[in-house]
Amino acid sequence: MRDRITSAVRGNTDLVGLLVLLLVVLVAYQHYDSSLLDPASVTILSAQFLPLILAAAGQTTVMLLGGIDLSLGAVLGLAMAVFATYDAHGAAGVVTAAVAALCAAVAAGAANGTLVAYAGLPPIVVTLAVSFLWSGVTLIVLPQPGGHVPGGLVNAYNNGWNGLAVPALVVALVLAAWKVLRTTRYGLALYAVGGNEHGAYASGLHTRGTKIAGYALAGAFTGLAGIGLAVQTGSADPTIGTPYTLNSIAACVLGGISFFGGVGRMRGTVLGALAIGLLTNLLLFTGISPFYQLIVQGVILVVALALKTYLTREAAV
Amino acid sequence: MNAGSVRGAVAVAASLCALAGISACDVQSDSSTAKSGASASAATAKDLKVGWSTIYLTPSWMQQTLKMMEGDVSKLKSAGKVSAFKTFNANGDTSQQIAQIRAMIQQKYDVIIVDAGSSTALNPALEQAVAAGITVVAFDSLPTSTKVIRVGTDQKAWGSMMATWLADKLKGKGSVIAMNGPAGVAVSEDRWAGAAAVFKKYPDIKIVSNVHSEYNLAPAAQAFASAYSAHPDIDGVFSQGGALSAAALQTLVKQDKKLVPVTGENYNGFLKMWRSHQKDGFSSLATAQPNYLAVIALEAAVAKREGVSVPQDITVPLPEITDKNLADYVKPDQPDDSYPINDLPQSEIDKLIGK
Repeated sequence: MRDRITSAVRGNTDLVGLLVLLLVVLVAYQHYDSSLLDPASVTILSAQFLPLILAAAGQTTVMLLGGIDLSLGAVLGLAMAVFATYDAHGAAGVVTAAVAALCAAVAAGAANGTLVAYAGLPPIVVTLAVSFLWSGVTLIVLPQPGGHVPGGLVNAYNNGWNGLAVPALVVALVLAAWKVLRTTRYGLALYAVGGNEHGAYASGLHTRGTKIAGYALAGAFTGLAGIGLAVQTGSADPTIGTPYTLNSIAACVLGGISFFGGVGRMRGTVLGALAIGLLTNLLLFTGISPFYQLIVQGVILVVALALKTYLTREAAV
Repeated sequence: MNAGSVRGAVAVAASLCALAGISACDVQSDSSTAKSGASASAATAKDLKVGWSTIYLTPSWMQQTLKMMEGDVSKLKSAGKVSAFKTFNANGDTSQQIAQIRAMIQQKYDVIIVDAGSSTALNPALEQAVAAGITVVAFDSLPTSTKVIRVGTDQKAWGSMMATWLADKLKGKGSVIAMNGPAGVAVSEDRWAGAAAVFKKYPDIKIVSNVHSEYNLAPAAQAFASAYSAHPDIDGVFSQGGALSAAALQTLVKQDKKLVPVTGENYNGFLKMWRSHQKDGFSSLATAQPNYLAVIALEAAVAKREGVSVPQDITVPLPEITDKNLADYVKPDQPDDSYPINDLPQSEIDKLIGK
């Protein structure tokens, strides 16, 4: 038993640090908000964190391929705008709107992937350039905040549906789907191409196809995040997505996803996103002056990263 | 001691430090729960716990607004009506602002004042606050929800006021560069909608270029310079914000070109330039998004708690700064990046909030 625990800890040293941070944040949170573990609070918090978690999942997919997606916020805004401007009424309408929004986001992702794979441009340049393109398209779809999401759906998402935390369920489903995908040929190819592109090519993998599919998958995650944000806010706002670009990268880095590709796990990203979300909420509760909150947030991120790097160096050597 | 145990020690020490940090915060959390317990029982406006969530806090307009609000809070505090006032800065992130509003609901605030980062995205959170019995008042950048009290100026009237003046000045004929705020932002779109409706009535006025820019001097100057180099023979500039106007006028002055009329706002940098070039025949009309909107919002919230029937929508008249009364507004000794405005008399505030 002891051996099993030690070996589990050994294999997850990066995650253990993050879990400790998360635990500390949770304990502190409990002090300020004793209703933290009530079903109602779980619903409210998961409703709040879902967009960031899913956006970070999209960013993770791209980072595992050795890239970085600076257009994530813009694509998120695009999906949100498409979903809300469809003006859905009833279940069928919502499904159509969601499919349309997902298609838009997947197409945007695939376009990013194609540019990276075939034009041979660095991902940071490609995604920076297309971020302007996608925000322009978003403004054509939705020139100013507006759109409509059925009130029942907004209520079910934010306050629970028959006592179920819908957003938490969606995140669990997405994670399960990712777990299945990882064991498939494609999942292995994704890590292989990100870790060593030449090696993967030499072993007969279609590296370009893998990249395009990976960026498209990232688009799907981002699209879901955009739909989530639209349902959370009951509307769409063409400029609301921008902060998600950098926040999603922060969640990935904290979650142990390497900038160089091929290293990192989705569960780390989810924990990273949770830690960032809870931490910002916690700082609101403490009532520190708003400017100091930014400083504290930055310091905690740096310290957490430094500690994690130090504690896991052993594994890398 | 080998490397492994050093690492372990660091990990444990870090966790202990973190826990110590939390227990240090404990005292504060206890006192705040005690406070909220006390205020929940008070039905009238006594010892109210007030929170202000703003999408930005760093721009000078917001800093001035915060100062004006703090001044009013200290008045209300000495009258025993307000006991606590906290400011929350969302730093441009609307999702963060939603989290702030939810945090204030959980912490049982009595009054939430909000300067919204999105006209639609905050609605569910704000309506949840109203349902929890919290008095919610929005000012400046308003949400569309009809369940909260909204204190603002009419942005369309802003645009049409500027456009009407410019059209009169040009005698209904000429080419104009339009300087608007960022695309997709409600304030910018509304001001332009008001202006566009006016310009439509003057078929001889041509909008040769419609420029979108941040409400900041540097990007606006670049945007104007490129539009102006394409259309150097314009007869006027429609600008919907002070920094945009300053950027346009500054470019005309620097390039030593004809000082065509440029509409403006009470951005001190623009007012100063206007003043110093009045003798060269420069003419303008400016208005203001007055900082006292925040004070009216605060007073409206307190009045509402006192049982006054405060109107749901409070539209504050736009001030008019003209060639004649410019001297009353411009502050030559203050920095460019400030928005000179005089306090609104209490009698005017009372009239607006239905006292």
